Amino acid sequence: MPWHRAQFTRREIVGNCLGTVAMLSSSSALGIAEAYAQQTQHRRPTPPNELGPSYKKGSPKNTILRTPGDPGLPLTVRGQVFNTRGDALSNAVIEVWQADHLGHYDFDQYRYRAQLAVDSAAAYQFDSVIPGHDPDRVCQHIHYLVLAPGHKPLVTQLYFATDPVFEGDPDHNFGRDPLIHSRELVRPVVLAGDPEEIQAVVRFDLVLELL
Amino acid sequence: MRWMALWCALVSIEPALGASLKLEKTITVPPDAAVRFAAVSPKGDWVAGACQDGRVRLWSLPSGELRQAFDLEDQRASSVRFSADGALLVGGGDRGGVRLWNIPSGRSKLELKVGEPVVALAISPDKTLLAVARKDVASLLWDLTTGRVITDLPARFAGSLSVDFSPDGEWLASADADTEIRIYESRTGALRATAKDLLLESFAVVFSADSKSIYAGGADRTVSVIDVAGGKVARALPQQPNAVSQLARSPDGKILLALYLDERGSVNPAPVIAWNVMSGSIDAQAFEPKVRPNGGGFLGNGRVIVTSSDGPKFEVWSVR
Repeated sequence: MPWHRAQFTRREIVGNCLGTVAMLSSSSALGIAEAYAQQTQHRRPTPPNELGPSYKKGSPKNTILRTPGDPGLPLTVRGQVFNTRGDALSNAVIEVWQADHLGHYDFDQYRYRAQLAVDSAAAYQFDSVIPGHDPDRVCQHIHYLVLAPGHKPLVTQLYFATDPVFEGDPDHNFGRDPLIHSRELVRPVVLAGDPEEIQAVVRFDLVLELL
Repeated sequence: MRWMALWCALVSIEPALGASLKLEKTITVPPDAAVRFAAVSPKGDWVAGACQDGRVRLWSLPSGELRQAFDLEDQRASSVRFSADGALLVGGGDRGGVRLWNIPSGRSKLELKVGEPVVALAISPDKTLLAVARKDVASLLWDLTTGRVITDLPARFAGSLSVDFSPDGEWLASADADTEIRIYESRTGALRATAKDLLLESFAVVFSADSKSIYAGGADRTVSVIDVAGGKVARALPQQPNAVSQLARSPDGKILLALYLDERGSVNPAPVIAWNVMSGSIDAQAFEPKVRPNGGGFLGNGRVIVTSSDGPKFEVWSVR
């Protein structure tokens, strides 16, 4: 899986470089730099996208947002959190919030709202349903707030390439939602599971800028 | 279904309160110039509209005569606000343009670039300071005498949704997207208190007439009364079925006009309520099936007016 390439911390990368140097008696400073550059995957920051009016403070820590029997297509979202140097941010905290399958947000409780911790590889995952269409928005979406010490807060949104609004061509049609300024936020949807229990799976990596 | 039940409850109690909206004036605007948001001057003699076509239009009240049309240059007007004495009007646009005009002459006073879409504006009572809330980034506090930024006013993340100066000029409040209400010293922008009690975003903040309290309303469908000194929510007006979109205080400070927003879709009509701030009770509540309130204020005789826009029609309603 491609994201495994970037599961090294800077310390690990430097350590790997030094190990490589120890084995190569003729290594030069240039060689170290090249090795470092090859192993460090510099990343573009995730495009921000507006917070919207539906944020609610205090979401519970939870990775399973849907409850058994919830209508809507089951969805699993997973990804990793990096900074622009390619470091995996294992101290990042993510908040996600979304509408239910009918496009309605829960303001009274915390349905389809959660705070997610990442693991030692800065990976996260949550189970939910594909959100419905919010009457005030064009496209289905999930809101993200990502915080990590030493980094700029990231507020963004995840969109789905399968959204009917895109008519199967998100490359050309992502601008139909005036709030989508970057095609990058429209993520491919993979259908998995057996025919009786189809589930959508989306990967969404998040890249924060350093302060 | 719960929303439906709450909505039905609202409709059923409305006649008992006896208030209704009476159409006072229909103003025709160009087809591409729908009024997105409106502001009523403190004396009730002007209404200004932030228009889709990038202009801020100024009509006299009660005649509804168009008196000025100010240009924001190639950007949709997104916010408009009068100074406390009505002598200045400030407008902001979707591309970060801000302009101030003298009223009624219409002479341009100052032009600023704030870099991001303007969400809300406020002028200090002495007209020397301007607060600009920007979309998704920190608000700015400007010194209007020098035309320079005094400081930015950052939230934990994202931007602010509403700003207001206290009537005594001491304080500036911002309703921030991180759900907190921050209270600053207006002269320096130094943070003095943060109200952290609210869980949902506030879309409107207004100081009380004595500058000791802040009324904040938003997605929690409640108007919270926040103590300026301690930054705590002291009390809340009864929760309603809809989110609060705008607030306006009567000149005597006794009435708080709240405009609501239908969360099921902002194109839906929504009610207005005139709250008695002392008792926390409803003085008047009105709902008109075709009206989506986008501005409101008080006329000199104490009457409450509400504006709405329906394409080329800009309507001024009174609350009876």
